Amino acid sequence: MALPKRIIKETERLMAEPVKGISAVPHEDNLRYFDVTIDGPGQSPYEGGVFKLELFLPDDYPMTPPKIRFLTKIYHPNIDRLGRICLDVLKSNWSPALQIRTILLSIQALLGAPNPDDPLANDVAQKWKEDEKGAIETARQWTEQYAKP
Amino acid sequence: MSSASQPIPPPNDRRGSRSSRSSSNAGFPEPMNSSDIAASESSGFVVGGPPGSPSPLALRASTSPHRRKSRGARIPPDFHLLDYVNTPDSNLICLICHCPFDRPVRLACEHYFCRICLDHAWDAQPEGCKTCPTCRHKVDADEEPLPVPKILERMLDELLVRCPNSKLGCPWVEQRSNLENHVMLYCEYALVECPASDCRLPVSQKDCHKGCLHYSVSCDNCHTSLLRKDLEDHQRATCQFRFAPCPHCSAELLRLDLNAHINDVCPKATVQCPGSIVGCKYSAERETVAEHETACPMATMAPFFRDQQARIERNEARFEPLVRKVGILEDGLSNITNMLYPANANDSSFPVTNPLDSNNPDAFPPAPLMPTPDFRLPPASFPPAPHNNDQSHSQPPFDSQIHHLLTLHDSLRDELSRVASALSELEGRTSMMIMNENQRVKEEMLHTNAAINGMRVQLHWLMSATLHQRTSASASSSATRAGGSASASGSGRSSASGTPTTGGATMRGPAVGMPPLRRLSDSIRQDTKL
Ligand SMILES: [Zn+2]
Ligand SMILES: [Zn+2]
Ligand SMILES: [Zn+2]
Ligand SMILES: [Zn+2]
Ligand SMILES: [Zn+2]
Ligand SMILES: [Zn+2]
Ligand SMILES: [Zn+2]
Repeated sequence: MALPKRIIKETERLMAEPVKGISAVPHEDNLRYFDVTIDGPGQSPYEGGVFKLELFLPDDYPMTPPKIRFLTKIYHPNIDRLGRICLDVLKSNWSPALQIRTILLSIQALLGAPNPDDPLANDVAQKWKEDEKGAIETARQWTEQYAKP
Repeated sequence: MSSASQPIPPPNDRRGSRSSRSSSNAGFPEPMNSSDIAASESSGFVVGGPPGSPSPLALRASTSPHRRKSRGARIPPDFHLLDYVNTPDSNLICLICHCPFDRPVRLACEHYFCRICLDHAWDAQPEGCKTCPTCRHKVDADEEPLPVPKILERMLDELLVRCPNSKLGCPWVEQRSNLENHVMLYCEYALVECPASDCRLPVSQKDCHKGCLHYSVSCDNCHTSLLRKDLEDHQRATCQFRFAPCPHCSAELLRLDLNAHINDVCPKATVQCPGSIVGCKYSAERETVAEHETACPMATMAPFFRDQQARIERNEARFEPLVRKVGILEDGLSNITNMLYPANANDSSFPVTNPLDSNNPDAFPPAPLMPTPDFRLPPASFPPAPHNNDQSHSQPPFDSQIHHLLTLHDSLRDELSRVASALSELEGRTSMMIMNENQRVKEEMLHTNAAINGMRVQLHWLMSATLHQRTSASASSSATRAGGSASASGSGRSSASGTPTTGGATMRGPAVGMPPLRRLSDSIRQDTKL
């Protein structure tokens, strides 16, 4: 299986110049499949947590966005029970000029700035709108419970 | 992603896309897939564009090796798969493929992309709302993409690349602008179809002349079985027993190179003195022989002898075509002489018999009889022949066969030139004769012409007289006037001829004063008009 030059280059660069708080390591047997970890950003209920994700580059990447899913349970209005993420750049706003690095940075930013008006997990978003303090507290508890390294 | 929605493979993954798709789907957890199918359906993503309008990519992909039918056709290099010698400047990198630009284009927002990458990115966007992949600036489809500055193209052209076949051993490294020529025309390592008619497997251009190498052999050293075409690489690079010590000097070498080493290099191998071709019997280890060489006179002489030998061989090789050439010339000459002296055509001894053949005592017949007294040709003779004949009894006629042939050749050439001069003399004679004859014929024709003219005048006079009589008999005074004037003057003649032309061609005779040919053509013209 010929791996596109672009994926090889992106992988090389991710290894050579890692982004602070983010790591992405390709599987040895499938170089399109990455194990990703994102540190919860500071000043957020996810601070101190290390979240595991899986990232897969489809065949026509970079024409279609990578597929990303949280493996670690997380309490967030834009992330559902299955770990799927509601982020415009992963869907309709994807551009082939984006890359793994920028997408992971967007996800990290999403953790720092939840957007309950564009929810994926309805119950969480509801809670977030009604009782933001309580929701943030739950998120902190979940982080404590599931995302501690 | 359902495979049905991807009619065209992505740009960077043309060859392996099918296999990778199946393997990747198998490796991916289920919930993810279903969510993405939903996502792609809702956003209406169509990857690869409508089937009716194949992208340039699809066209390029159609020349991929799987579809290749014609024997030996080469695939143009894919610039997105190139291996650059130096890391290219980041300003030359396309943000979509992360490679140096391939046929770059510019957008109004000053973002640059490969033409193919941009087309492919736009395939995923609905018609009429295309945006810049980098800044999402809306694109004016009529104006953009714009051409890029020449300097950018030049910088790209000057990037050093390795041949795409470098993994197969091609050492070529040059500017990118020369790549296409190299790959399409010159690369010896390009894969072409196997020359065997029943074999469709690819083979390197350089091995093409070796015939089909797609059969299994087993390595003599490690007994691995592999294809014949891979054997050499295996024995050079991967075979675990590829190294062997030289039996003479115990140097560790590739088995493959062992024979060459022993024959040409090994200092301990027993070799003969280079003077052996002249008779030196000395033989010892190569090192010792090298010392002996400086003292051995025969070794010193050996190069000269070798040169001499080579020269003799060359001359012998040149001799063979000469013999054939002379044979052809002789045949040609005999044809010519037979044509010139048909009387002698049946005489086997003349004039083609080899005058140099000492076994033929009749080689020099007396001068042949002339076929006609007019053809006063010199007798065919072979001037050097008598001289040779003298020699033939006492000693071999010639120093060498080449000399022999040269003499023969010269005599043939003399004969030819004699024949040629005879021919030209004959030609002059004939043309003189023809001219004389012509002159006579011309004079006769003049006579005849004059006679004909006289007759024509008479005939005309008779005709006009008859006409005159007929008109005067049938009609009244006006006719009489016309008739009178006609008989009186030349102008009357022409007016008389003018009247009956409408009646028919019988009255064309009257134009006496004019050259007959001219008049004839005039009448023809008249006929066609009528
Ligand atoms: Zn590109
Ligand atoms: Zn732009
Ligand atoms: Zn090459
Ligand atoms: Zn073959
Ligand atoms: Zn072997
Ligand atoms: Zn040796
Ligand atoms: Zn010697």
